[in-house]
Amino acid sequence: MRRRVLVLVSLAALAWAAGGCGGPIEHDELERAVSTLGATAAEGRIVALDVVEDRTKTTFVRVHGKALQTDVEHLAEKLQDAEAKPDLVARKRAAVRLAKDIDAALGDLIVAPSDRRVARDVERRLDTLAHRAENLAEAL
Amino acid sequence: MKKVFQIALGIIAAIGGYLDIGDLVFNMQAGAKFGYQLLWALPVGLVGIIVFAEMSGRVAAIAKKANFELVNERYGRRLATATLIASLVLTFLTLAAELGGVGLALTIFFDGPEQTFMLIGTVVLLGVCWYLSFDWIERLFGYGGLALLVFVAAAVHFGPDWHRFGDGFVPQAQGSTLYWYFAVGLVAAAFMPYEIYFYSSGAREEGWDESDLGLNRANAIIGYTLGGTIAVGLLVTAAQVFNPAGVDPSHLGTSLLGAQTAFGETGLILAIVGVLFAFGGAAVDTAFSGAYNLAQHQGWEWGKKAGKPLRWDLTWIALLIGGYVVVATGIDPIELTEYAVVLSVIALPLTYLPIMLVANDREVMGEHANGWLARILGWAYFGLICVLTVAAPILLIATNGGGG
Repeated sequence: MRRRVLVLVSLAALAWAAGGCGGPIEHDELERAVSTLGATAAEGRIVALDVVEDRTKTTFVRVHGKALQTDVEHLAEKLQDAEAKPDLVARKRAAVRLAKDIDAALGDLIVAPSDRRVARDVERRLDTLAHRAENLAEAL
Repeated sequence: MKKVFQIALGIIAAIGGYLDIGDLVFNMQAGAKFGYQLLWALPVGLVGIIVFAEMSGRVAAIAKKANFELVNERYGRRLATATLIASLVLTFLTLAAELGGVGLALTIFFDGPEQTFMLIGTVVLLGVCWYLSFDWIERLFGYGGLALLVFVAAAVHFGPDWHRFGDGFVPQAQGSTLYWYFAVGLVAAAFMPYEIYFYSSGAREEGWDESDLGLNRANAIIGYTLGGTIAVGLLVTAAQVFNPAGVDPSHLGTSLLGAQTAFGETGLILAIVGVLFAFGGAAVDTAFSGAYNLAQHQGWEWGKKAGKPLRWDLTWIALLIGGYVVVATGIDPIELTEYAVVLSVIALPLTYLPIMLVANDREVMGEHANGWLARILGWAYFGLICVLTVAAPILLIATNGGGG
């Protein structure tokens, strides 16, 4: 629930910024969005790991994977639309790239929810992406 | 065996109250965010709800009055109507969220259109409420919900740090608003008004009298302790699985992931079965509570054992169908519980005060009136409930709904 509210708060702030009504995106808003992305990557990694170890149901991987992917897609869209101050432009771009990469990894898992080879690859990618999010959040 | 079945009322009221869809995710979030640090909040709420459930069951057995009959008696017409409106809106929103939760759980199990599964869940619940007796309804959902004990097994399976686990039961002096938001939320989750409406009306449905006071005590203590133990299991599982990984649970699926990580597919299936019965039980709790309250406020006949009185039946059927219509709009069930929590602020003290006033009243209760310990605990917890009603919305705003 907390992250869901966090996503909504982030989206509202980003939408406000994108609409030109609330000014450009602030450090703390971007940091919250990046933290949310990192948490999603970490969670997706656990799901993928359970596929690798054949400890889950295909339906769960697909449904829960889609739920995580939807959160990431919404954040990616809003980050893309948000304006940024000059000192944040590069980091905002990095956050959008991060969101797209997490989205793609989750997408691969959803398409092949019982393929252990794909899941191994997704698990590694999401692990790297979670660390990337951590580093980006620290830089903010 | 008969004695085991007799504590079903306490279990369904507790599991429906403690482990509705919002609470399930909230407990996980508390563990994921703060590790073991918030464990102390769970027994604080647990003791309070045991005190009030025992009182309401005792009042139902001795004074032969359910909770809303007391509200009518002790408050003026206007305040009783305000309490009714607040409780109806609260139970209705919670009911809609639970129906959404049932649909989500079925979707996770079968994969398919969520809306279709919500409809199927609603139809099944309508059938169960119509055809089954009250005794079998409480047994089905109460004992089915115990599959959630898989989270207690998961918490132990991961080998918790018992020293830190023990420390978690001691409140820490924390300056973080978010910490207090979660602490207040965990305590308040135990006091959702509909569970006490359901418990006291259920005691009347079962025709409790003076000879059932021991049964009432067993229901309140064992039923709610089971609910509280599962809540501890959820928090400790999250503290071990999600906290170190940096996961922040916000979906029902994340909560299920905790059981899956421990026991693989078997854990996942047990968790899905548990949430289906818990959310189904919460849906029945709320639908019946709404119908009980309206009927008791209006002076209608009510209850399954009254031979299906038409107006009472129509009310719970309308609530279930209305709940489905709300959740069919696509609103997130977990968000819906947040609105319900805000509304519970109005209903909380108005719900619990009359129970205590009557339980303290020697003219009504005779030798079964509250003793000194029950009085002290009752007033202390009523004070705490008043603090929660003020603190909850302030913390909700201050933390952006827990967003920090």
